[in-house]
Amino acid sequence: MAQIVLFHYFPRNSILHDMDGRVKLICMILFSVVISLVQSIPSFIILTAGLILITLLAARLPFITLLKDMKYFSILILIILLVNSFVIPGRPIPGFPLPGVTIEGVMTGLMASWRLVLIIMVCAIMTGTTSLITLKNVVEWYLRPIPLVPETRIATMINLTFVFIPVIFDTVSEMLSAQKARCVEGRRNPLKRIMFIAFPLLVQTFRRTEELILAMEARCYSDDRTRAVFATTAKDWLILAFSVLFLAVILFYPF
Amino acid sequence: MSKPNMPIILETQNLTHVFPDGTVAIKDINLQIRTGEFVIVAGANGSGKTVLLRHLNGLIRPTKGKVLLEGEPISKNITAARKQIGLIFQDSDSQIVGQTVAEDVAFGPENLRLPPEEVDRRVKTYLEVVGLSKLAQQSPHVLSGGEKRKLAVAGVLAMQPKIIMFDEPFTGLDYPGVVQVLRQLVSLHQSGHTIILVTHELEKVLAHADRLIIIYQGKIVEDGNPQEIIGRSEQYGVRMPLGKDEGVDAMTWLK
Ligand SMILES: Nc1ncnc2c1ncn2[C@@H]1O[C@H](COP(=O)(O)OP(=O)(O)O)[C@@H](O)[C@H]1O
Ligand SMILES: [Mg+2]
Repeated sequence: MAQIVLFHYFPRNSILHDMDGRVKLICMILFSVVISLVQSIPSFIILTAGLILITLLAARLPFITLLKDMKYFSILILIILLVNSFVIPGRPIPGFPLPGVTIEGVMTGLMASWRLVLIIMVCAIMTGTTSLITLKNVVEWYLRPIPLVPETRIATMINLTFVFIPVIFDTVSEMLSAQKARCVEGRRNPLKRIMFIAFPLLVQTFRRTEELILAMEARCYSDDRTRAVFATTAKDWLILAFSVLFLAVILFYPF
Repeated sequence: MSKPNMPIILETQNLTHVFPDGTVAIKDINLQIRTGEFVIVAGANGSGKTVLLRHLNGLIRPTKGKVLLEGEPISKNITAARKQIGLIFQDSDSQIVGQTVAEDVAFGPENLRLPPEEVDRRVKTYLEVVGLSKLAQQSPHVLSGGEKRKLAVAGVLAMQPKIIMFDEPFTGLDYPGVVQVLRQLVSLHQSGHTIILVTHELEKVLAHADRLIIIYQGKIVEDGNPQEIIGRSEQYGVRMPLGKDEGVDAMTWLK
């Protein structure tokens, strides 16, 4: 697996790490909403500066390392920019060699990709400062009041998915090595080679799942489990209030 | 030496299981296990050892017969029975349900709906017991084979069972791994747990057992003092340990 750290959890001691995950999730959603609403360049700049400061100071995340991982999104960003530049009607750029590129298009494209980068930053801050377990518990907490939604089961499913991902990757790499040892490279047809992995993988995963269900039953699994406890402190409310204020200024001040 | 003075904790009566495809996996198993006994169940591959264990904590329902825990049929309160009878599966990978070592140990106590402080206390205690405290926040995925098995033991111990069953706990372990698991087994037995251990690697552990049961084609063919039975084991596909001349006492990898 490629060593992407962008959405990894970094165990640290920081204001955001200590925050109540439920409040943090609300802040994250507020930020994302404002990011998708802003229109002017100054508000974009202030938001960016704000998020960089939060990453470095409030979350104590390795900003440069995270920034490097943005390269995985570069193609997507480029596509957004290009498509917008050509598709949005408007005035052509004087002296620009390619016909069809408009000033309005480039501006919209720039803002759209800037938005994407900012939202990725928000997500990276959230996942960087919140362990998957907490994230799962937060989701479970928010689903609790919704009727007919089996929140414990959903939380267990989220959890098991994350448990299984590395196991599946390992199984695949093991199978690949085993097949290399039997000269699978001699096979030209890539479809065949995928099948050689896909079928055994499916069989193995099903077998594992069956065992896992039994193992969970053996440990008395039930939907009625101990629930995670959350504690909201004055600090959480302060951060929420501050976020709301900051975002309101960006959204409503006529820059 | 058996423990004739102790009360019978677990009993099976005419336990029989026929799979839908007609395979008779176990047939008329009558067993009485006393509190504090260390019982080894041996038998060739496919002789029905795993199926038998899975009946004892109700993961598989018998076609005929029943299982009694302290005189009561386990089918009356299956969760209570599973809490008392811990099972450590052969494949440690497929019984890991936590994203971290600590979270995996918490799974059982959480299912029992213990208060969060009690869950935390048990996680700490039993990680300490198996010697994994330092790895508490690690992903279980990165543990060695021996450590994974210790984690499985901690996960079962955290439910504070009276009986602990191990399904082929030495499979896939290197020498230090086997020694670690063996130490665990012996110390669990010394602390008063009833141990039921399935294995065909008698030379690693037989010295510690009070009793040896041999299963052959789904039936109990030998049951009693290891010293008396061991000489007849080979006709049932269980390899005679090499140290026969030195007696059963030498059959351990613990020095
Ligand atoms: N789910 C199943 N369906 C049909 N047959 C099974 C199933 N599970 C086990 N068996 C059969 O039951 C017998 C006993 O299996 P098992 O208890 O796993 O043996 P072992 O002693 O190696 O643990 C074997 O013949 C096996 O093929
Ligand atoms: Mg087996």
